[in-house]
Amino acid sequence: MLDQFIEGFGMAMRLDTFMMMSFGLFGGMLVGALPGFTTLMAMAILLPISFFLDPIVGIPFLLGIYKGGIFGGSIPAILISMPGTGAAVATSRDGYKLTQQGKSRKALDMALFASVLGDTSSDIFTILMIFPIAFLVMQFGPPELFAVLLLSLVIIAATSGSSPLKSLVMMMLGLWLSFIGTDPLGGVERFTFGLFDLKSGIPLLPMLIGVFAIPEIANVVMRNEKAKHLSSLMGKRLSKAEFRRCFRTICRSTVIGTAIGIVPGLGQVVAAMMGYSAAKNASDHPETFGEGELEGVAAAEAANNAVNGPTMVPLLTLGIPGDNVTAILLGAFVAQGLRPGPQLFEEQGATVFAILVAMVFANLLFLVIGYLSIPFFSRLVTIKVSILIPVVIMFAFAGAYVFRSDSVDLLMLVVFGIFGIVVRVAKFDVMPMVMGFILGPPMEYAFGQTVAMTNGNAFGFFFGERWGALSILLAIPVIGILLWRRMRAIPTG
Amino acid sequence: MFKNSIKKAATLAMVAGLSVAASLGAAKAEYPEKPITMVIPLGAGGSHDLNARVITSIIPTYLGQPMIVRLTPGAGGQKGTNEVANAPADGYTLLFTHNYIDMLQQHVENLPYDPKADFRTVARINYAPIAVIVRSDSPYMTMEDLVAASKANPGGVQMAHSGNWGALFVPAAQMMKALDISWNLVPYQGGGPALQALLGGDADVTMGFPSSIASHLDAGTIRVLATAGAERIYDDVPTFAEVGVPGDVGFMHRVVLAPAATPDAVIEKLGAAFKALESDKTFTRMMGRLGENIEIIDAADYEKMRVEQDAAYKELVKTLTSQ
Repeated sequence: MLDQFIEGFGMAMRLDTFMMMSFGLFGGMLVGALPGFTTLMAMAILLPISFFLDPIVGIPFLLGIYKGGIFGGSIPAILISMPGTGAAVATSRDGYKLTQQGKSRKALDMALFASVLGDTSSDIFTILMIFPIAFLVMQFGPPELFAVLLLSLVIIAATSGSSPLKSLVMMMLGLWLSFIGTDPLGGVERFTFGLFDLKSGIPLLPMLIGVFAIPEIANVVMRNEKAKHLSSLMGKRLSKAEFRRCFRTICRSTVIGTAIGIVPGLGQVVAAMMGYSAAKNASDHPETFGEGELEGVAAAEAANNAVNGPTMVPLLTLGIPGDNVTAILLGAFVAQGLRPGPQLFEEQGATVFAILVAMVFANLLFLVIGYLSIPFFSRLVTIKVSILIPVVIMFAFAGAYVFRSDSVDLLMLVVFGIFGIVVRVAKFDVMPMVMGFILGPPMEYAFGQTVAMTNGNAFGFFFGERWGALSILLAIPVIGILLWRRMRAIPTG
Repeated sequence: MFKNSIKKAATLAMVAGLSVAASLGAAKAEYPEKPITMVIPLGAGGSHDLNARVITSIIPTYLGQPMIVRLTPGAGGQKGTNEVANAPADGYTLLFTHNYIDMLQQHVENLPYDPKADFRTVARINYAPIAVIVRSDSPYMTMEDLVAASKANPGGVQMAHSGNWGALFVPAAQMMKALDISWNLVPYQGGGPALQALLGGDADVTMGFPSSIASHLDAGTIRVLATAGAERIYDDVPTFAEVGVPGDVGFMHRVVLAPAATPDAVIEKLGAAFKALESDKTFTRMMGRLGENIEIIDAADYEKMRVEQDAAYKELVKTLTSQ
């Protein structure tokens, strides 16, 4: 295998590979930065280009779009509190506070360094451990997934706000909102009132923009900040001391993100939230989290990027894509005559290693591209508030619309915007609601599968056959109570 | 080969450029005078998406206009289908769907459209025959073993499928009906996760299309017990017809539909362009790599098949839901 790796390493060192990768990284970053346009769309549209390229050029090109896009998504999250995906929600929390404090450049730099470090380490880990990971992936079925998702929700509720009770209320609301639409297992309509528009459920993007961006806009407008100062500063770049301070957090989040990437069906959202919660819990000043803490940005970004490496494993070793992004990559592989699956490494080992090596280099390349681009992006917040606010409003509505091109989504945006303003006044945190909404459906699905697998006797099943899932379930109350006690001790600011 | 692709790409660019110029110059031009949108009521990265990416990168050569893919997933395919049902019938909005969304859903749910009255066929592009698979260490060596075990222990065999009334669920249900057996049908979010459940030991049996199981078959991790249709796909594996499940069972037809009022001339023009794909070398090569066949059926013939599907699915849903 080592000679295959060395051969692959040599194959990846091509000028055109690096050029197309840079192109993909930059393009992906731009697309990801536009709210409403997802990386997935960009990849699907540009997929045919890769058909006509050499495998070692075409697939790194697509990987570049993917990686650039994930970072791109954190740009509006940090600058205008507009997370375009669930994965950017945690980043937005401290990132936008930093922007308000005139430190947007530091926040973006931190996001970039954390992303690249998290991604690179998880990619290298994946290359070294690809077969052990492939074995681990197979150990997770619906019961285990259900237990891990439930654990994640409990951790989020216990660590997000100052009042776990309020967090729980919001999370329940989020779970309920996720029930609206067609039940994923039985196909029964729930809470749709016979409206066709509600049949496919509430769309995520208008909710994200509504509850996170609209209240911020309202906040600026209502306080009439224009009178105070015309614009915010983009501030200085990240200093070495600040990076060193966050290094431990980045390492912790990378480990968490990589572990979560191994569990099929969890993904970036859970990773970002777990990384963030763990950093807050480990910190000796947890009260600064949510108030503009660089560590918070580092924790979320390192974790959600560290997911990327392991998610490639089921694709490469089993030919089974774990999510939509890897499904597009599968198409690209297959169209190139590379058949992901158990024999891929025997048949095409060198080419696959070349692609994996290119993946690592894409991260390093992105460090340069991102670092050079950040000043341009952070210039956005230096625009006069009287111009910036209308632009942000336009982005909010355009982003909500373009995602599905459905005018109902504009209505949803307004409703969630008003809702966001109201709950903010009542001092409720919307994050647990959003997390309940995002993680509710996969959790429900996994539970339904578990029940279906056992013909209804899920209880006996957990005790009789699924010791892994059972031990996670039993650990949940203990972890929940410990975290709750610890968080209650935090002085509220 | 690479040179060829470049040539193709250059031709494509030229055709696109020329057609834009032409549409700007003369307003009276005949159909198609602007880009055509092909709506897919399914998500990104699925087999429809991939097939469509190949189709839309080649078909401009024959239509003189680009074809744009628009993914509109939601409500089990109903969202995108509804959109096309309500689109202007001018040939600029098409639907790329499959037979289960097209003809089966109407019997399960109240739809906001009527698939029979609101759509007409443009062409069937290709089909994918399903295969019944088990792990290679499974005790079921043949289809007879599986049927015998299922009969001995009704509901005891775990069958992983890709979602209710989907491409694995329907053939499984048809098989259960034809052979008078009963499996415990467990849903997974797509064929990939269902295959993973089989490999991981959570499921005893599942189904898969040849293109997605080929690498596992070569690696010897799975065994095929039967394949859809009357003609053998693998020399030593019996067909559905041979094991007692005859008819149009287990075929996913990928089909292009248009709003019902679309003029005949437009349908003919589109049909001819799709037909031309059959003999396009780049197209056949790329579809071959995806592991997909190209078996174009024209509008008139597929309409007859739709009528048969309608009756068969109606009957199937009736038996399944009356229990």
